[in-house]
Amino acid sequence: MPHQWGMVIDLDRCTGCEACVVACHAENNISTVGEDQASRGRAKHWIRVERYFEGEFPDVKTKFMPVLCQQCDAAPCEPVCPTFASYHTIEGLNGQVYNRCIGTRYCANACPYNVRFFNWYNPEWEKPLNLQLNPDVSLREVGVMEKCTFCVQRIKAGEIQAEAEKRAVKDGEIQPACVQSCPTTAMVFGDLSDPDSEVSRLARGNRGIKLLGELGTLPKVTYLQKDSWHGSENA
Amino acid sequence: MQRRDFIKITAAGGAAAALEGCGNPDHHLIRFIPEEDLLPGIATWKPSICTLCPAGCGTLVRVMQGEAEVIRNGQLGILKMGLAKKIEGNPAHPINQGKLCPRGHGELQVTYHPDRIRSPLQRTGERGSGQFKEITWDEAIKQLVSQLSGVPGPSRGWWAMITSPLRGQRKTIVDDFAYALHGGHFEFEFFDSALPAVDLGQANYLLSFGADFLGTWNSPVAQSISYGRMRKGRPGQRGKFVHFESRISQTAASADEWIPSRPGMDGVLALSLAHVILRDKLRSAGSAGGAAASIDGWTQGLPDFAPEKIEKQSGVPAATITRIAHESAANAPAVVLMGDSAAAHTNAVFSARAVNALNALLGSVGKPGGSAFSPALPMRGSQSMQPTSNLSHREGPGSASFAMFRDMVTSTSKAPQVLLLHNANPVFGSAQGSQVRDLIAKSGFIASFSRFIDETSALADLVLPDHSPLESWLDDALESGSAQTVVSLAPPAMAPLHNTRSMPDVLLDVAQQLGGDVAKALPWKTYDEALKASFSELYKEKGTKNAKDADDFWSKAQEQGGWWSADEKPSAPASSKATASPAKYTEPQFDGSADDFPFYFLPFASQMFYDGSLAHLPWMQEAPDPLSSVMWGTWVEINNRTAEKLGVKMGDIVAVASAHGTLEAPALVTPAIAPDVIAMPVGQGHTSYTRYASNRGANPISILAPMTVAGTDALAWAATRVKISRVGEGKLVMFGASMEETPKDLKHR
Repeated sequence: MPHQWGMVIDLDRCTGCEACVVACHAENNISTVGEDQASRGRAKHWIRVERYFEGEFPDVKTKFMPVLCQQCDAAPCEPVCPTFASYHTIEGLNGQVYNRCIGTRYCANACPYNVRFFNWYNPEWEKPLNLQLNPDVSLREVGVMEKCTFCVQRIKAGEIQAEAEKRAVKDGEIQPACVQSCPTTAMVFGDLSDPDSEVSRLARGNRGIKLLGELGTLPKVTYLQKDSWHGSENA
Repeated sequence: MQRRDFIKITAAGGAAAALEGCGNPDHHLIRFIPEEDLLPGIATWKPSICTLCPAGCGTLVRVMQGEAEVIRNGQLGILKMGLAKKIEGNPAHPINQGKLCPRGHGELQVTYHPDRIRSPLQRTGERGSGQFKEITWDEAIKQLVSQLSGVPGPSRGWWAMITSPLRGQRKTIVDDFAYALHGGHFEFEFFDSALPAVDLGQANYLLSFGADFLGTWNSPVAQSISYGRMRKGRPGQRGKFVHFESRISQTAASADEWIPSRPGMDGVLALSLAHVILRDKLRSAGSAGGAAASIDGWTQGLPDFAPEKIEKQSGVPAATITRIAHESAANAPAVVLMGDSAAAHTNAVFSARAVNALNALLGSVGKPGGSAFSPALPMRGSQSMQPTSNLSHREGPGSASFAMFRDMVTSTSKAPQVLLLHNANPVFGSAQGSQVRDLIAKSGFIASFSRFIDETSALADLVLPDHSPLESWLDDALESGSAQTVVSLAPPAMAPLHNTRSMPDVLLDVAQQLGGDVAKALPWKTYDEALKASFSELYKEKGTKNAKDADDFWSKAQEQGGWWSADEKPSAPASSKATASPAKYTEPQFDGSADDFPFYFLPFASQMFYDGSLAHLPWMQEAPDPLSSVMWGTWVEINNRTAEKLGVKMGDIVAVASAHGTLEAPALVTPAIAPDVIAMPVGQGHTSYTRYASNRGANPISILAPMTVAGTDALAWAATRVKISRVGEGKLVMFGASMEETPKDLKHR
């Protein structure tokens, strides 16, 4: 059975530090667009941290929620693509074939999570910033949509390595850049087709919810709700 | 070969080729002989040390073969070399255990920054004009040697070096250099590097007064790792976290309970909690040991700090204080942290001693789940170098605070004849920065080791650009973040891109050329020679078990990223010297009257820019701030009700004025701040700091009053009052449009 890659994000551990956000930029050659383009809503963050305040001063509660492509099993972005640039991979990822993409942006329209980003210009790295680029990740040109891939280059490298060593991929061996960086271990990545993997175990927990699950998108990211304190005033 | 196998090979190695476009004019350049043999497409991982904040995390740098455009011997060409491609945490390192914060990734962009200084520079225009010409290293070092010889002398005044806080051999070399040449070494920082190592992982109750321990304070990655364990690492047991501060910081956002307290009331609240614990006999008065003896009124049970008495003054309801006291006593181990704004009020020494006593009373000091050092006291003036106008009569090498430098220049009205700068930007980071600029500009000769022209280095006559951290030998002797002894070590992860030299190497070269005492004190030719000598000493003392000989120990340390002790021994707090008098409550002082300046002004460390030293990195500029989601700019936080009264809307430009200056920035209207507090992130507002940071946003430090923490020379940066007024319409650049209402599934349980 092919791997089914999935992720669990524990909101009780997440502190909103955004190590994941910068790690993703560094790993995936995401270009910065600058102030002017950012003010037009054209900044590209494959993963972002949403922040919610509840209540009024002085009773304010805060919540952070990292949001990335949910790699839906019933992905609204896929059927709307006229060129099959958005497609479902055998391992359950919402793939994006850059050189099929003609930039209709139907997929971004259809996605309820706002996690697809359009390249309004060719990316630029002022020399020698180009030397930071990761040779394992292709660059996206003007007119092309891009999105979180669950670091497919790391998945492929891990699978090829395991196959060369004639063994199965070990649980936890493959980590996307965001997961590897996360200081509080709020993010866990692994194979959902293996019921014993850490990610499967956590996803079954009673705090698990799917973001906008009522839309029937069948996301492969499970959020574990923020917990509250169960201690007492008296010993 | 089957097609599938062919694709496997290309997947691993061929992608590099895709990056180099066809018809690239670069390819007409000559090719230099490769400096290193690397297999194309195969990554090697080299240990390094993150130098972007004082935490000292260990990193692994992914190095791959690539082609860089470089200048060698005046000739532009292409060099096939090992290039750093990604930074990860070093899983073996005791501090960050494989993890990294957002800033840690930025060292790549420090290295490849387009505005890095690429060769030694000599000033050509007026001082501060930013006009320089490139010179050779031989010329540059010759100039520095001639400037330093004969200083200090009867007619030639004194000399000084200002650096960021240094540790390890780097510090020893600078201290020895300054001491042997009768100069002064002064360390500058805006936020204090704190000292406690806290064990949050086993804590059941965590109280924090102001400390942004999940964002920027002390050792944030180490603390975040153990915070994760405190929350969900122990099945069925989840520690509670309570945060006192007048604003929701990135750290406070994760608290189970945010208790808005009035600025400067941290010590009062700590003693009030202690009062309840003593009154209700939850702990005995004696259990606090020596820490209690330093608090006035402890033996009487702190009657002045009864919750009902301090309710109004602190802004915290008596019932809340009583409840928190009971909870913290009932849920041991409990630990109390204090830092950032709580340590930046005029009465912070009192607050720190109060927090120490509360920690001792809760019984968690030096124990699992507790704190292992006393909270950071910003007492930098007490370091080994004593105030003196005669630097040649000192007892030994050491450093002093930048405040002492300022005092020496103003009291003797003599600026140094020679001033060396390294990694410190006091013109940007000081209250009344323009005065600091004038003071520094009076120096006879200024040389900077900076990689970038910042506000202070803009005054330099000579620039001797340092390597990037990834191109340097690095070492660090850590004081915090782990209960183990940690000495980090890293050889360069890659060859230098530009015509730069490592600062310690330059000092050692200059020492040899000057001869005499300084050449004797620093006999090594290079920094790595000095490091090897220090590791040989460490081997004799600690390393004989795991290594054959000193060379083996040295090479193992390089492979691993340093040396650390196997045993974890949380040490008890460094016993503070018997203080002359018990700590008594003192009112926090604020600059500016409440009538003219009705708001407390609260600057805070930026999650992306720290103290402003990372504002030049495009990744940091474009990353949305975790709380405001602002990119490429700065903002002024105003409570929503206050904003309504003032007629200020989200994004409107407001003027924030103290008695010392005015700035303008867009307003961020939020419920997460007290109605009488105005907050602003530190980091933007550079006038000179590369194309990405210059003339962007405003610098809150520029309007701070020069208040100090009583009993120390540290800046009380939370002790300024301001007024605000609406200027007109403006705009905030923010990321994410859908953050107005919490998705229903994610409401607090």
